[in-house]
Amino acid sequence: MRSTPKTERWRPARWLSVGIAVLAAAVLLGWVVTHFPKAPMGPRYVGAGHQSPQSGGTLVFSAGSNIHTLDPHFAYDTLSTAACRLLYDGLLDYDYDGNMIPSLAAELPTVSDAGRAFRFALRDGIKFHNGREITAHDISWSLHRLLSQATGSPGYPFYKSIVGAPAYHRGEAERIEGIRVIDEKTIAFQLDEADQTFLNALAMPFAYPLPKEHVEKLEAAEGADAVGRHPVGAGPFAFSRWERGVQVELHRFEDYWAPRARVERMVFLENISPDVASARFRNGDLDVIHRPSKVNRLFMRESKAWAPYRAEVPSPSVYAIGLNCELPPFDNVHVRRAVAFAIDRSKLERLNPGEVLAASQVLPPMLAPYDPELPTRQVFDLERAKEEMRLAGFPDGLSEPITLWVRGEGDVRGAQLFQQDLKEIGIEIDLKMVSFATYLKETGKPRVAQAAFTGWHQDFPDPSNFMDILFHSRSIHPVNSENRSFYRNPKLDAILDSARAEVDREKRLALYAEANAILADDAPWAFLSYAVDMFAWQPYVKGFRPHPVWLNEYRNIWLDLPRKRVSQVIYEEEAAP
Amino acid sequence: MMRFIVQRAFWGVLVVMSVVTLVFFLIFVAGDPAVTILGPQARAEQIADFKAKKGLDRPVPEQFMSYLGLMPCIRKDSPKYLRADGARGYCGILQGDLGESYSHHESVANVIGYRLPRTLLLASLAVLFELVIGLTAGIIAALRRNRWSDTAIMFATFIGISLPTYVTGPIALLLFAFLLGWFPFGGYGVDPLDHVYHALLPALILAIAGAATYARVMRGELIETMRHDHVRTAKAKGMPMSQVVLKHAIRNALLPIATLIGLSLPFLVGGAIITEKIFAWPGLGLLTIESIESLDAPVIMAVVLMFGIAVQIGNLLADIAVAALDPRIRLD
Repeated sequence: MRSTPKTERWRPARWLSVGIAVLAAAVLLGWVVTHFPKAPMGPRYVGAGHQSPQSGGTLVFSAGSNIHTLDPHFAYDTLSTAACRLLYDGLLDYDYDGNMIPSLAAELPTVSDAGRAFRFALRDGIKFHNGREITAHDISWSLHRLLSQATGSPGYPFYKSIVGAPAYHRGEAERIEGIRVIDEKTIAFQLDEADQTFLNALAMPFAYPLPKEHVEKLEAAEGADAVGRHPVGAGPFAFSRWERGVQVELHRFEDYWAPRARVERMVFLENISPDVASARFRNGDLDVIHRPSKVNRLFMRESKAWAPYRAEVPSPSVYAIGLNCELPPFDNVHVRRAVAFAIDRSKLERLNPGEVLAASQVLPPMLAPYDPELPTRQVFDLERAKEEMRLAGFPDGLSEPITLWVRGEGDVRGAQLFQQDLKEIGIEIDLKMVSFATYLKETGKPRVAQAAFTGWHQDFPDPSNFMDILFHSRSIHPVNSENRSFYRNPKLDAILDSARAEVDREKRLALYAEANAILADDAPWAFLSYAVDMFAWQPYVKGFRPHPVWLNEYRNIWLDLPRKRVSQVIYEEEAAP
Repeated sequence: MMRFIVQRAFWGVLVVMSVVTLVFFLIFVAGDPAVTILGPQARAEQIADFKAKKGLDRPVPEQFMSYLGLMPCIRKDSPKYLRADGARGYCGILQGDLGESYSHHESVANVIGYRLPRTLLLASLAVLFELVIGLTAGIIAALRRNRWSDTAIMFATFIGISLPTYVTGPIALLLFAFLLGWFPFGGYGVDPLDHVYHALLPALILAIAGAATYARVMRGELIETMRHDHVRTAKAKGMPMSQVVLKHAIRNALLPIATLIGLSLPFLVGGAIITEKIFAWPGLGLLTIESIESLDAPVIMAVVLMFGIAVQIGNLLADIAVAALDPRIRLD
């Protein structure tokens, strides 16, 4: 008890050794920091220098999460759609300007019966990957599979205007009356009412044909989900293998009807986060990158070395604050307009440089009839905002705060910007942060959310896909309403209905232009921004162009191989002042 | 011993059942799975179709009973919904049917089957690293107590415990994969050897905190054991020091380590969510996060079920291991 434990005694030698160890660690750390190798400033590899397109090579690209299925009838998420897009072809497709073009169809369909009947002639020499020629029966059989309730595809609503489709879906009919196979190479569709967006629906991956014999054999052997594991389509690439959650591998389909693809193999990596993907890309391990991480995106924007190998394009989507037109104070159009005028959208552009573009209307810039003159209605203009508040009868602002529903940190940052703006016109905002699940459930019910962050990404490139679904009174339901601002306008409904049926493209666009103006003016949504996508590719990747409809359109790429490693010194000299 | 195991198994089943019940109902409190799966652009019709197909339009208690397998199947996409003989079958967990994933167009058993081996590979490598590094460091520290090597090791373990994987992971990736190129930059690889190579760096990062914990526990226990009478006796008998440590001291000191390993079993099964995310390791951890975000109820339930069972088995094994290693403990 008397003895002092040895450890508590002050021992200079020991502390000296600890001091030396710490000092050594600091020196080592300093050495590591100063001798840290530099990240490559420009591309690590360049092409071999071929001028004409070359055949061969493997294209490697990645995405941040999982591909869920390779069955086009179930592919309803971005990645599954992108993978199916390489494996399958449909009757119709879009060119790089967003115009509809024939694909498996020999030409665009003949339209009759005031826009209610469509007749397609199939191309010659179109084959499935199993080598069998595609006939009109395949198109019909695939649509029947898609639309049966037993299949349970989320694609059904896009095709319900076909005569007899709802009855068939409910199981009350053996087949869909409105789909008729005329002969091996001709198929005809009859709709209940004139609807030009039916052609857009036919161009969606949902309508891509599958070979009946393959599907039936597989489903009998392995169950209903088997097609998603062993896809056989008619696209430029055929299926090699799929290591689940890791990568999908494809190889070129040699009997493709169009000029066959140049790249020999495709490797689509899954679950690669933006940070990892960006580093791999700069390292030369990925050939194409879409949406690099924020830091890398800023770097690529500034880098001269990368300038020829990147593109920034708006994506076909719009973000907004949805204002509930049934609940005060937003049942008053002047208050809605005041909000639309009070928001300084340039702040969003400054907060996310290069990632967003200020929005003034529901249609994104690449979709006709986008109107560049329209921004006079939904732009930042404090005087007009205050004037609208006066017209609304609230010259001194609202007495009660507004509740704005947001879905997470990203939304909160944006919302805080606008809190300040709206305070200027006397509107206080309370943020209500909820989980995505709660958000979806609650904002779909009438008279619940006063205002909510919201947005839309196009299913197919047609104005109706934005306006009909978001603002037509038909889209209001007691639960799961698609029209989440609960906006009702008989005039808009009438315009949208006639536009859907209108066969003449010019007249259609004129009608949608009118609807577009009404929406900007009535402001059921205060439009905020369009998202901007960044693509970058290695110098040896040729023939890539961002596509206005398909997100990862890598069908036409060719690789200038063998690639050559570049000395990084070149870029350092370039970067020096 | 048998009585103990049976007793524990009974309580284990009870605990797992309550967790499963709790989570099942929580999923429906959080939101509507059909609405969340189909996303913000879903049409009302798609949601109604989906609910009908999955039986989500039935009352939640009925869904639960059917999920357990105590009431007939309500999932129309199940072959057991209407059997060939026309009767309604059962398709719950009691029948060994985990159901069909909502977002992956695939059975839950398959979805988990793809992921589980990857997570097991990563986690077992991590545990191996933890044990080798942690125990070695702990033994050295204990035997060289209060010398500079002890101080250095304890300082290192202090840092190891304090640094979270979301700090060490990206740094290791940047340094060893991106700049030095010794390891692959995340991912899983394509063949078995490649998988192990890809797993090395994440497993090492994952092992840091565990190794540090093991080192500290091992050091403390070993110092404690070295003071025990039987060790002193062995020393007094003139036994060589290495023999004393190996034969008498370490075996006793390993007891709490065995418990710790048993308790880390659920982590083996559940996957290291953050590490998997950083290293793009497509295991159960990533799947769990994704399923919770999208309210993929069947997958969430299966993961919870597996996790619950793993915790119970881990605890049981830890108790049995302690009893086997320590003759003073009797399980009754």
